[in-house]
Amino acid sequence: MSNYINLSIKEIHVLLKEKKITPIDLVNECIKKIESSDLNAFITLDKEGALKQAEELSKMEVSDDLLFGIPIAIKDNIMVNGLRCTCASRMLDNFTAIYDAGCIDLIKKHGMIIIGKTNMDEFAMGSTSETSYYGAPKNPWNKDKVTGGSSGGSAASVSAGLVPMALGSDTGGSIRQPSSFTGIVGMKPTYGRVSRYGLVAFASSLDQIGPMTRNVYENALLLNAISKLDRRDMTSFDTNEDFTRKIDKPLENFKVAIPNYFVSDIVDSEVKNKILEIKKLLEDNNVKVDFIDIKHIDKTVTLYQIIAMGEASSNLARFDGVRYGFSYPNPTSLDDLYSKTRKFGFGNEVKRRIMVGSYLLSGENAKTYYNKALEIRDDLQKNFLKVFDNYNLIIGPTTARCAYDLGDKGDDPLKSFMDDVLVMHANMGGFPSLSMPVGFNSEHLPIGLQIIGNLRDEATIYGLASFIEKNIKEDFSEVRNGL
Amino acid sequence: MLSKEEVMHVAHLARIEIDEEELEKYQRDLKILFDEIDKIKDLDDFDEDRMFSPCENAFDLDRRNVEVDKDNLLLNVPKKKGNFIEVPVMINE
Repeated sequence: MSNYINLSIKEIHVLLKEKKITPIDLVNECIKKIESSDLNAFITLDKEGALKQAEELSKMEVSDDLLFGIPIAIKDNIMVNGLRCTCASRMLDNFTAIYDAGCIDLIKKHGMIIIGKTNMDEFAMGSTSETSYYGAPKNPWNKDKVTGGSSGGSAASVSAGLVPMALGSDTGGSIRQPSSFTGIVGMKPTYGRVSRYGLVAFASSLDQIGPMTRNVYENALLLNAISKLDRRDMTSFDTNEDFTRKIDKPLENFKVAIPNYFVSDIVDSEVKNKILEIKKLLEDNNVKVDFIDIKHIDKTVTLYQIIAMGEASSNLARFDGVRYGFSYPNPTSLDDLYSKTRKFGFGNEVKRRIMVGSYLLSGENAKTYYNKALEIRDDLQKNFLKVFDNYNLIIGPTTARCAYDLGDKGDDPLKSFMDDVLVMHANMGGFPSLSMPVGFNSEHLPIGLQIIGNLRDEATIYGLASFIEKNIKEDFSEVRNGL
Repeated sequence: MLSKEEVMHVAHLARIEIDEEELEKYQRDLKILFDEIDKIKDLDDFDEDRMFSPCENAFDLDRRNVEVDKDNLLLNVPKKKGNFIEVPVMINE
């Protein structure tokens, strides 16, 4: 089997430019790798569509766009016209998207080739991808371990080299947490940076689409491609900048903060020690690193639950068996259609969250819970903004521990929230946040570093991330050739 | 544990039918989640500004900006007759 996919995007581009390979070679290689993989990373593989597009691109002049002809995998909650969009739920098992999401328009304009749709937690609710109706994807570093979630299929497919790049979505850590568990680079951009048009809504004030890649540079490159003002998403902002511009540039007068909470007892000692090694690396290179306290930083699980479940219950009210998706056959009344469609169409995790969310928003409860959560959320964002008055970036672990055994989480209602305890702040405040691999634990599982930036300051995150990437010894590419 | 009546009330709000045999599990699971979110009642010392969305321009003019044709709109409808979506009878004859 050819191995072009394991080359860097720049190297692949040169081969395409020199006509040594065509996009068809890349697509064939991806399809072969996906079909021979046992990771369960994909829900839908679009062989026919991808090959057709590759053939069309092969007839064209290769543009100077580095992403031209590059295959990409898309999380199955992002609409690609004509392809199934299941959200890994029985509810949407037979649903076909009838339009392209905003980011998919851009992916296609760049001449990228969509290979298929990746596995995930049902409606992006979970932290292991085990709530998928199609079964859990497996972690390429150890197939008995979870990939993390909810973008677990995208993470596994990039980590294992089935595709060079993927898109995920992140509502409370769903790009960064699986990126950490599988040793890849994942970015949740600033809220509003990437259009949410065509992303199946989970919690609208938190959801954000972002790139998942093998290295920092390619991550910035993909973010360049998918960021554009989109009038179809009223939270989208005008964005026209090169996110690679600070990569490999010197870190001058750089100050970084580590919240004490991020290295407290909730974090596993191997993970903590790795983060402290990174602190030392930065200090040795004249970066000032301080430990700081941030008010309300330890309250995010409660806040997240209230806001995310409340918004989810409202967004998922649309699944009623009438207009699309699963529909309970032979109902006795309209109410019977609704409640039985939702009983059989949704899995346990989703049902629990919708029920709690419905309760939170009903009557006076909206004041007691939701409104108060929004007030503390505002406070939390201000507290983070104050940190950015004095520091360029905030760093810490992405996850408190490395990937754990499939099945360990069981049906625990709280576990998936606790897994994301260090990554939810960025969603609460709208801040950009990246996870990158920085080492391994004693089981040879990847450890992720999280870098949080000020609003709209992804470029500085990539700057620091590229510096760290260059200065660590570990190699995270070994699983790309199959362990 | 929540009472059976509390669980049934919440399930009705969410329009999700629950079987008798599932009740006990939900009495337990929902209690765990409610205990976690109830912690917000103990929080004080914060400003009273609310943040509905992290972005500044969350309000925009309504405009028609999506073009989807009729056939496509009906593509995923579970039950239809011609151009109509079929639903259970709502009004007694």
